[in-house]
Amino acid sequence: MSTRVSDVSREALVRPIQARSKGFLLALLAALGAIGVWAFFYVQQLEHGLIVTNLGGWGSAGGVPWGLYIGAFIWWVGIAHGGIILSAAVRLVGLKTYQPVARMAEMLTIAALTCAGLFILIHVGRPDRLVTSVIPAWPWRVQWSPLTWDVTVITAYFVLTGTYLLLTVRYDIHRLRDSLPDRLEPLYRALMVGYSEKEDAVVERLVWWLAFAIIIMAPLLLHGGVIPWLFALLPSMAGWAGGVQGPSFLSIALTSAVSGIIVIAAAFRRAYGWQDLIPDAVFRGLAKWLGFFSLMFLWLQLQQVMTGIFAAPTSLQHATEVKISTPTYWLAIGLVGLALLYIFASALKPSLFSIRAMVVACLGVLVGTLLEKVLFVVEGLQHAHFDLYAGVPGVYVPSVVELSALLGTVGIVVLFFLLASKVIPVVELHAIEGDHEEVDER
Amino acid sequence: MIPLAGTASYTLPFVGPGTYLIFGVVLAPIYVMLVAWFLGYPRDAKKGLLGVAYLAGLTTSLWGGLFVATMVIKALFF
Repeated sequence: MSTRVSDVSREALVRPIQARSKGFLLALLAALGAIGVWAFFYVQQLEHGLIVTNLGGWGSAGGVPWGLYIGAFIWWVGIAHGGIILSAAVRLVGLKTYQPVARMAEMLTIAALTCAGLFILIHVGRPDRLVTSVIPAWPWRVQWSPLTWDVTVITAYFVLTGTYLLLTVRYDIHRLRDSLPDRLEPLYRALMVGYSEKEDAVVERLVWWLAFAIIIMAPLLLHGGVIPWLFALLPSMAGWAGGVQGPSFLSIALTSAVSGIIVIAAAFRRAYGWQDLIPDAVFRGLAKWLGFFSLMFLWLQLQQVMTGIFAAPTSLQHATEVKISTPTYWLAIGLVGLALLYIFASALKPSLFSIRAMVVACLGVLVGTLLEKVLFVVEGLQHAHFDLYAGVPGVYVPSVVELSALLGTVGIVVLFFLLASKVIPVVELHAIEGDHEEVDER
Repeated sequence: MIPLAGTASYTLPFVGPGTYLIFGVVLAPIYVMLVAWFLGYPRDAKKGLLGVAYLAGLTTSLWGGLFVATMVIKALFF
């Protein structure tokens, strides 16, 4: 059985742009409220310093100067990386089943990368020194500093994704212009500069090569490369070091990203009655990918635990024993494991599958991957070689200030989708055109 | 690059593994992309330049915007 997504009208595609609803307004207020809460606490941090988070210097939190801010940074970067990989795969490998969610994945990448960058900005005690120290120091540190590699690669990644979106949106705006709001005409004119229908084939080729660059860089060199190298190259932190961190980070990125896409796609489908535009088959397919990535995540955790407790070097054994004796770690593993079990069960018995249950499972995965990343950062630091922080008092617990930042960044992502969906179609026109039509519903 | 007398090699710009890693490996897919933009078919140099302008413009606006935002924070709080 198959669904012809091409039977969906253009009216459905621009429905978010034209629709007015109470739900939209409520979501907007909730997002602004979340951002407002974070802004209130961030002003406290700017006025009094990082001491309000217990993360300053040797700190009062067991010596841990990195906590939720850095854990959330890795988490958002992971979501960002996985998002665009899906979109690039649609274009490169021809996974057209997922074309209806490809642009949402691109947008998720941009929003999530923004939040990741924001966490670095707010974690810097003096954010005013960020640009003025990074830019001048760049040529003097790029040869040795993984932090400089990180800045370089995240910039490249953000720019590639932005270019990808700017190039692909021209095709849609040109053809849907009559349905788009006139008050945004100056913006559309800027986005469409120099456009002619003759460019479509050329731009499609440019975008194909962009997707090529992204699909190599994102999994292999960014979330499986530079980001884990921020930790894996530090032998003094036994819980961080080692080559397994590359694939492990990547598995977490893909797991959380697919979860994020499922949640966002389900929200749009419900809000705008897009049962035909984003059919069940898309969610069933994404669920299978989530199941596969969750399995990889759990398998790589098993690798780390086994190599950490069986005849491991003393400091690694200690770090691993601490990790597996932390209930929060098992909560994280359990949340991902439950999602995997549900996906497996619904593959065996398709009647068990529901989008609502899938969204709940995905929210669990998002919480689980965040918990794992925060624990990775905190415990990796606390249990360094030579018991570096053993004499420092206190225990790390995320402060209200840090938690408010997490809430604020979620608000930023929601706000981004709400506003962007009023400007451009969040589903590509290609998704409903004849040459992109067959969607397998098995 | 020839090390300067009395200067530790790790203090010299661009001398070290990160240079090969970033410019030789990590950014290599971007080089391939840029070459393909201008050499493949169907070809239109203007659209290739549009892509390059997006890359350059987004990089500038990202770091320029960050600079302005952080300077505002400096003016208000430090």
